[in-house]
Amino acid sequence: MTVLQLFIAALLLLAIPTVVGGLFRRNVDKNLTNLVFQWISGQILLWACFQLICVPMILLDIDFKWVVAVYGALLALASLAALILAARNRKAAGAMTIIRGFDRKKLSTHLVWMVFWGLLAFQLVQAVRMTYRDGDDAFYVAISSITQNAETMYRKLPYTGYTTELDARHGLAPFPIWIAFLAKAMGIRAVSVAHVILPVALIGMTYGIFYLIGGSLLKGKKDVLPVFLIFTELLVLFGDYSFYTVENFMIARSRQGKAALGSIIIPVLLLLLLSLFRQLQEGEDVSLKYYLLLASVGMAGCLCSTMGAILCCVLVGVAGICAAVAFKRWKILIPLALCCLPNVCYSVLYLVFS
Amino acid sequence: MWNVVTTLFREYMGAGLIMIFYLVSLIYLWMREKRKFVRILFVYVPVVLLLLFFNPLFAKILYGLLGDEIYYRMLWLLPVTVTVAYTAASIYGSLSDRNRATFALAAAAAIAVSGSFIYNNQYFQKAENIYHVPDSVVHICDAIAVPGREIQAAFPLEMVQFVRQYDPTICMPYGREVTVDRWNKWSELPDEMEKETIDLSRLAPLAKEEGCHFVIIPEDKTIVGNPAEYHWEVFGRMDGYVIFRDTDYSLLL
Repeated sequence: MTVLQLFIAALLLLAIPTVVGGLFRRNVDKNLTNLVFQWISGQILLWACFQLICVPMILLDIDFKWVVAVYGALLALASLAALILAARNRKAAGAMTIIRGFDRKKLSTHLVWMVFWGLLAFQLVQAVRMTYRDGDDAFYVAISSITQNAETMYRKLPYTGYTTELDARHGLAPFPIWIAFLAKAMGIRAVSVAHVILPVALIGMTYGIFYLIGGSLLKGKKDVLPVFLIFTELLVLFGDYSFYTVENFMIARSRQGKAALGSIIIPVLLLLLLSLFRQLQEGEDVSLKYYLLLASVGMAGCLCSTMGAILCCVLVGVAGICAAVAFKRWKILIPLALCCLPNVCYSVLYLVFS
Repeated sequence: MWNVVTTLFREYMGAGLIMIFYLVSLIYLWMREKRKFVRILFVYVPVVLLLLFFNPLFAKILYGLLGDEIYYRMLWLLPVTVTVAYTAASIYGSLSDRNRATFALAAAAAIAVSGSFIYNNQYFQKAENIYHVPDSVVHICDAIAVPGREIQAAFPLEMVQFVRQYDPTICMPYGREVTVDRWNKWSELPDEMEKETIDLSRLAPLAKEEGCHFVIIPEDKTIVGNPAEYHWEVFGRMDGYVIFRDTDYSLLL
């Protein structure tokens, strides 16, 4: 892997999502304005766009090179639009918030933060150093490799390489095609992107979400936030108590869409629902951008896994009904139901093709 | 259905201690958390989700839609990590400076003892290269690949899951699907390939039938029969494997 390839990886997985996430810096939640939120919300929006672009192309049997072209153009346009918006509105960057907050901390808090960063660094190094041999990679990673190599999407059997009818059922959740896009853009094999580059980015993203959730839950208790994060790290590191836990998937199988569903999409959904309920409780108006982001999370869930379409609906539905009862605000169910519409459509398509 | 779901929940819990911490956290938040929006998301919603999970009718519908292998993912909707960490952090925050470190260390130790360290999992190994597939797969694939075309090769079962992740131009007559017993995809060719003594009079015709340009066999296996009789030649030996090339099949573009 060359320096240029690593630079492109940082651009695609860090810089561009953060720039695009600038679109959500205002009007989603007054407490969610920092760079971490920009990074995560930007990546969610880009995943939703990828799902919108890619699935029709898969079903219409269009070559992968067109996905690369259209999604590449979208990345450039979205980045440009976000930069123009940011230039118009230069006040208070998120990074400054983090830096100013950092200066005021006590020495003991610095030490706790150092423990957090140390444990995070350990996990990221392990993601590169260690490999988890999972049989499902023979399906998902092979699809990425085939797509990068043969330009066809879901037209070859990943296990053997034989040509087949369109596998539309798996094609509805084309997370492996997104990996193939990254591999194509970076100019390295999809297998390396899936096993080495992606775990580093996605594990980092999960802790970014935990940081945001912790910030929302522990508002006004900044010295406790790093302790919360260390506990999340310990629960993840010691989360291999069964084969099925989301922590197992997060660390061991980060490159698979279902792992991203469990360790990124569902936590982001929790973050946004927490934000919604706080806004409802404090009588704030919920913006259109908020609902756009919520719908994007649902779409990103569909990209990750076919079950993502259903799980996101279940969580939004249950949480929405609980909130409607608790706050006696039944009207909240209407926009929440609208946000779930794309997921319902994908679920119907899934039933049609399975 | 009730038995199936409870069994699934037990399997998800493992030893069960982390789940007990989670239930204790739920009770703690129910009693101590004052903010309604937090209570809704971290107490009421998980309780409703658990009721849904154990509801035989709901389970039957989701089983019907998605199959029985992935229903456990409903449990991913429970914010176990966040809830336990938040409860521990809240208790930590409510303590005096002197007691904080003691509590943090005790809680960390409790998590460590109750859970299982993920990197101790038997499937974790030190990566051999930047592709995270065995070196032997990389070397053999690089040796047999022909730029510009696909080739067909039969590999030992321990290699099949890695080959097409690394190089999708190498096709195989069977892949990972034969290694999963419940899928019932076993066939004659892998059966012959996996025998301790390889009988070429049986293996070679099967491999030819599948159009294999190459057959890869572990060097420590006994081979019965003369490869030349079947127009096989030794293409190379590497990483403990011998690569046979079937000269009946052309590798020209």
